[in-house]
Amino acid sequence: MSQFIQQVILGLLLGGVYVAVALGFSLVWGILNIVNLAHGALVIVGAYVTWALFTRWHVDPFLSLPVDALVLFVIGYALQRGVINRLIRAPLLFTFLLTFGLNLVIVSLLLLIFTADFRSVTTTYSGSGLELGNVTIPYIRVGGLAVALVLAGILWTILNRTRIGAAILAVGADRDAAQLVGVDLRHIYALTFAIGAAFAGVAGGIISTFQSITPTAGDPYTLQAFAVVILGGLGRVSATVAGGLAFGLIEVLGQSAPWLGSGYANAIAFVVLVVVLVVRPRGLLGRLA
Amino acid sequence: MIAREDRLPPRLRRSIFAVTMVALAYVILAPLTSIDAAQQAGLPLLTDKVWFRIVTTVLMFVVLASAWNIVGGLTGYASFGNIAFFGLGAYTVGALVANRGWPFGLALLVAPIVPALFALVIGLPLLRLRGHYFAVATLGVGVATGEVVNNVGPLGASTGLFLPIVRSDLLFFYLMLAAAGLAVLTTWVILRTRFGYGLLAIRENEEAAAVIGVNTNFYKVAAFCIAAALSGIAGGIFAQWNSFINQELVFAVSDNVQMILMAVLGGAGTALGPVAGAVVLELIIQTLAGGGSGSVYSQIGLGILLAVCVIFIPRGVIDFFGGRSKLSLRYFRQTLRETSA
Repeated sequence: MSQFIQQVILGLLLGGVYVAVALGFSLVWGILNIVNLAHGALVIVGAYVTWALFTRWHVDPFLSLPVDALVLFVIGYALQRGVINRLIRAPLLFTFLLTFGLNLVIVSLLLLIFTADFRSVTTTYSGSGLELGNVTIPYIRVGGLAVALVLAGILWTILNRTRIGAAILAVGADRDAAQLVGVDLRHIYALTFAIGAAFAGVAGGIISTFQSITPTAGDPYTLQAFAVVILGGLGRVSATVAGGLAFGLIEVLGQSAPWLGSGYANAIAFVVLVVVLVVRPRGLLGRLA
Repeated sequence: MIAREDRLPPRLRRSIFAVTMVALAYVILAPLTSIDAAQQAGLPLLTDKVWFRIVTTVLMFVVLASAWNIVGGLTGYASFGNIAFFGLGAYTVGALVANRGWPFGLALLVAPIVPALFALVIGLPLLRLRGHYFAVATLGVGVATGEVVNNVGPLGASTGLFLPIVRSDLLFFYLMLAAAGLAVLTTWVILRTRFGYGLLAIRENEEAAAVIGVNTNFYKVAAFCIAAALSGIAGGIFAQWNSFINQELVFAVSDNVQMILMAVLGGAGTALGPVAGAVVLELIIQTLAGGGSGSVYSQIGLGILLAVCVIFIPRGVIDFFGGRSKLSLRYFRQTLRETSA
């Protein structure tokens, strides 16, 4: 029984990471109608920023999260304004290919800069956790979940309580109408992508605290972010949170099943994805299209 | 993305035809100079190991791009999972030859069947999805299939499968050439049948196609299966040619993106567009890689090439033939304006 409770807790904690990864992905998809295949690469850029700050200046990984966000915000704004805006009205196959190309370029640049060596951020509190009977809760993962929930709160506040959020939602609802009432489309596109990238960067910072990072470590996260958005539903912050937590649970419980191994993370993601798409296309909490 | 063949002015058409025939004759006949008899007769050697490797790889991508084109170009379903069919074909031959001791020729006959059956099973649920959903669901199929294969002991798990080495550049070249010919011929025939018109109708407007009596589900799944069978043949030949396969080699998502780029760059929805795209792009990639494909710089080059191509020539190079569009700065400005924010 305590084994099961342990798995559920680990699943929810892992789900927190998926929430963090999927928030930005979901925002960009919902507003810009772009499935950003470079999202995982942006996550890993954030992880490398945290790693660099930690190794160079011994900055605590959780304190470096705002720096991750800032760096990725700038990169994201430049990418959207300079490149992706050129293709924003093209058929989706083209934005797909474009973001895949960006992914290749980012991953290759990371390989050139940081090489393919495994990098990890190990703090003094990395191994410790709260022990309740037979159940162990690692502090670092609790920190990750907390950050993810704070991120979700920030995104909800930006979208629902600020003027810029209103403009972003307006663009997502109807580009032409938004432009008619005076929204600067190019700026809002770039801003939306930048916010998505900043969230990806923070997610990367969290990931660096418990996983060794390599330039190619981001690719699975893109697929998982997609599965989370499908599972939760598009167009709501709460749906992404629900989808992320549910997905973390499914993955941990699925991998602990005796007839599966730990090598099936992507296969599980995909099976969940297809089943949800076929059975309930709008996800757990998604809005009706 | 509408099929635009047979609309070139006659003179241009004749000269393109002549150039293509000469190139084709060279590609088909040059390898024969490597046969012992030809060498003894004093013919100049026109091919070497590098030539065979490059041209056979190009032909392999002609098969893959043409197969993708049947689903992505004709039917309008952008599949990112075709690499799974290639991988399954490769593993079919790999398992039969390495584990069961089948002769390669017999195993190759099974190579198209396994992927086609797989396409039949996953096609029914997947082809109900559209747009992003279909693209990423198929991407998931590619990744997940590779992952499962990577975990199955009898298939060599993460080590991969080793096949007995067959040293014959000539054999694999002609096999791949035959597969490429089959792929192009299949597309050509499809484009001229009721089936092909049905696929084009689905691409242009699926509801309308259904209303005028196209059995859309049957057509889509059939196209998917044909593409899977063709990709499986290429995979089967690759397995024996390379004599070693593992997940990274035959389930590479970047190869799937390459075939899409080839079809789109050449002209999706035509029979010869993917061929042109595969030849041009694979030669560029081989040049960038400088012999060792997969190097960091070739990846960066491919990524930038992807971005430039989809931004500036979204309708493929085939758009420049036939006098509708001229290759000019104005064309680039025009395509840029059409899609920019």
